[in-house]
Amino acid sequence: MERNCLRCGIFRTLGSVATVLLPVLWLTFPQPRIAAGQTSGSQDLTSLSVEDLMNIEVTSVSRKEQKFAKTGAAVFVITQEDIHRSGATNIPDVLRMAPGVDVARIDANRWAVSIRGFNSLYGNKVLVLIDGRSVYSDSFSGVNWDQQDVPLEDIDRIEVIRGPGGTVWGANAVNGVINIITKDSRKTHGGLIGAGGGNQTAADSLVQYGGTAGSNGSYRAFGHYFGINNSVTPGGQPATDGWNGSHGGFRSDWDLSTRDTLSVQADAMRTSGGESITAIFPNIPLQTSLNEPVTNALADVLARWEHTLANGSQTSLQVYYDYVHRVGDTGVAEYHRTTDVEFQYHLAVGSRHDVVWGLDYRFDNVDLYSPFEYSAIFSPPSHNDSLAAMFLQDEITITKSLSVTVGSKLEHNVYTGFEYEPSAQMVWTPSARQTLWVSAARAIRQPAMIDVDLKSGVAVVPLGGGDFGIAALSGDAHPKSETLRDFETGYRHKIGKRLSVDLTGFLSYYRNLETIEPQDPFFSVDSGLPHLVIPEVFAFNANGRDYGAEVFLNWDASSRLKVSSGYSFLNMLTTPDASATGSTVYQPPGDSPRHQPQVRAHLRLRRNLDWDASMAWTSPLANVASYTRVDSRLGWRAGESLEFSVVGQNLTSPRHLEFADTLEINGTLVVRSVFARVQWRF
Amino acid sequence: MALLSRSVRLCLILANLSALARTAAPPADEPLGEYEVKAAFIYNFARYVEWPQKSFRSPADPIAICVLGGDPMGHLLDEAVSGKTVEKHSLAVRRIAEIREAGTCQIVFFAASHKMPREALANLRMSGVLTVGETEGFARRGGIIGFRVEEGHHIRFDVNIEAARDANLRISSQLLSLATIVKR
Repeated sequence: MERNCLRCGIFRTLGSVATVLLPVLWLTFPQPRIAAGQTSGSQDLTSLSVEDLMNIEVTSVSRKEQKFAKTGAAVFVITQEDIHRSGATNIPDVLRMAPGVDVARIDANRWAVSIRGFNSLYGNKVLVLIDGRSVYSDSFSGVNWDQQDVPLEDIDRIEVIRGPGGTVWGANAVNGVINIITKDSRKTHGGLIGAGGGNQTAADSLVQYGGTAGSNGSYRAFGHYFGINNSVTPGGQPATDGWNGSHGGFRSDWDLSTRDTLSVQADAMRTSGGESITAIFPNIPLQTSLNEPVTNALADVLARWEHTLANGSQTSLQVYYDYVHRVGDTGVAEYHRTTDVEFQYHLAVGSRHDVVWGLDYRFDNVDLYSPFEYSAIFSPPSHNDSLAAMFLQDEITITKSLSVTVGSKLEHNVYTGFEYEPSAQMVWTPSARQTLWVSAARAIRQPAMIDVDLKSGVAVVPLGGGDFGIAALSGDAHPKSETLRDFETGYRHKIGKRLSVDLTGFLSYYRNLETIEPQDPFFSVDSGLPHLVIPEVFAFNANGRDYGAEVFLNWDASSRLKVSSGYSFLNMLTTPDASATGSTVYQPPGDSPRHQPQVRAHLRLRRNLDWDASMAWTSPLANVASYTRVDSRLGWRAGESLEFSVVGQNLTSPRHLEFADTLEINGTLVVRSVFARVQWRF
Repeated sequence: MALLSRSVRLCLILANLSALARTAAPPADEPLGEYEVKAAFIYNFARYVEWPQKSFRSPADPIAICVLGGDPMGHLLDEAVSGKTVEKHSLAVRRIAEIREAGTCQIVFFAASHKMPREALANLRMSGVLTVGETEGFARRGGIIGFRVEEGHHIRFDVNIEAARDANLRISSQLLSLATIVKR
């Protein structure tokens, strides 16, 4: 049955891919062209007038991509144009276009996002940064995506680095780094008003204004509001996961002197929504679904000062403060107050060495209150975490086409003490069009409060004869860091003017992966009905061996059509501790798809009319059937300042599940949706 | 079954859309590399800018186009100007690592990878050098001509007239009429 379904999934996907691709191919296969006096391949552009040159359409390879073309790591850059044309209204949906990133919506306000496996509500092996500010939560460990709102129009680019980034970024950059970078405020002068609505995203509106501040400064300030409707439970009932958020923020950038720039930015945001959880009591009804609020009150302020020394070396000093007050995850009330200071120094030593070193200190003050009997309980409820780190990395040019980068981070955290994260990469560029690289790295995921201080009921186990047991999960007083030793290789080739290929293969060895291990059961009469308690503890006893590949192909078929496709393959093998019976891996391989192909097409129908379509297939998970997503967008520009767009998401399936229930949170279905938007710049 | 008919429907929609595109779109030109076009622009700048006599040691000296910072153009610029002359001057391309070497250049192209354009620009003011850059706000920050890629597809350029005047360069009105004039 399952195999049948898998096969039909594949055929359905092939069929759908063909549906999208065939017209596209038909459209773009080299048409016999009337000779226009010259072939553009060997055309001498210098014979053209300046006016003619201004009318030539150029391929827009961003400079960042050029920089990354020679990087010894698997990097994918999502540009502002990619974001704009995707029609996405939130960051997780934008990330779906990056090959190798697994995005699964759990309910309307929660996502599981990971790279190279280990996906989970609390996916904890990818580090996410917004303008250099880490948004990794150290209580439940991972990223709360409902807290990460950036007006999508203000994002300059998102750099997605697959594979370990511990040497530069430190702990938790195990399987990848997602670096969200907003535009310099000097690029966003003027006003912007956007408003839209649809059946799923009920409202999304942005008001923004930017301008100059004095003779050397720029600023922008915005207000963003969004409201998301309830989706549907797997049983077909209306869910209670609708939510809304209001976000205000500003960014300003200043040239303090010819050698100094200062950026200051701040945000304040609140969200309010709901989730359905399965609560467990030692009393009748033992286990029931409850609707709980999920609310966030967030604020952050960040300043970054960059100084260029007379010899061309660059230094940067970044300071931020981040405040999070969240209620959710079984009603737990969390308070985080994070202060972080980072310093970096970038210098060229001689003609062969390009050295970067840095220092980082972070202090987190966390309080976790568990108001209900069924809440996840943390003991002790308060925690002061500090993290100190330093790193050094040297890029050594050996010959014109060969370079080697070596470096390491040294960190100290409160759970496991000193940790080191070395890496080495070798990059060979036999020509300007080709890059071949190999790398080896060690990275760690440091324990978080949930791994150590948790004490909570997770499941009711009926025992027959009216008796029942409660499985109670608790933390490990002696946690270990999950460690990765990773080996990878990649190849990039720009073939002619139109085609580029990017291939990566990796082999990853994990140690001390987190496990859940049952202990000896005992009988309890302490509270409620007498029941059996089956204690389970977190431990770090599993090993893993993963391998996989990621492919990205970009085809600039013509100046009007661009087709890109990606595919990622992942094989995960985890071996739980043989000595502990019943030990299971906390983030099991079955929650991450093996195959994820996708294809996207951007077509400029007319000068002012764009059509975009994407299709992605996700292979089945342990508890989720395979599914195909088809999204499409039609955008029409009326002059320079006004744009209308219509976006359809999940067009081929009325509803589907992307992630099953996770811990105590009940998943909901993704529904077919349509969204219309108007945007005015002035 | 429902699924099949749905994909058939989608197929029809797509076919219609692409048919629309076929009728709407004239034969598309090959997309050209950004730097191929920029190289041709730089050649044109040499044609439409007049240098003070003292910029050249002798009238037979070539117009030296210097690329500062990691060179994104490679051979494209050399190919664009090879064999060309402007007012009896031949054109020569040089790559320079530091701003100190820019004194004998007529045009300095600041590649985006160059780390401190502003500092360098201050050093080059009034020296008879046409500074061309591609970083954001290059002309506004004291450069003479700054490239922009508009909507990611078309190349435009800013001209800072004050900076040109400071450098004793005359830019033809023909070029200026196509530029966006910016001020410091």
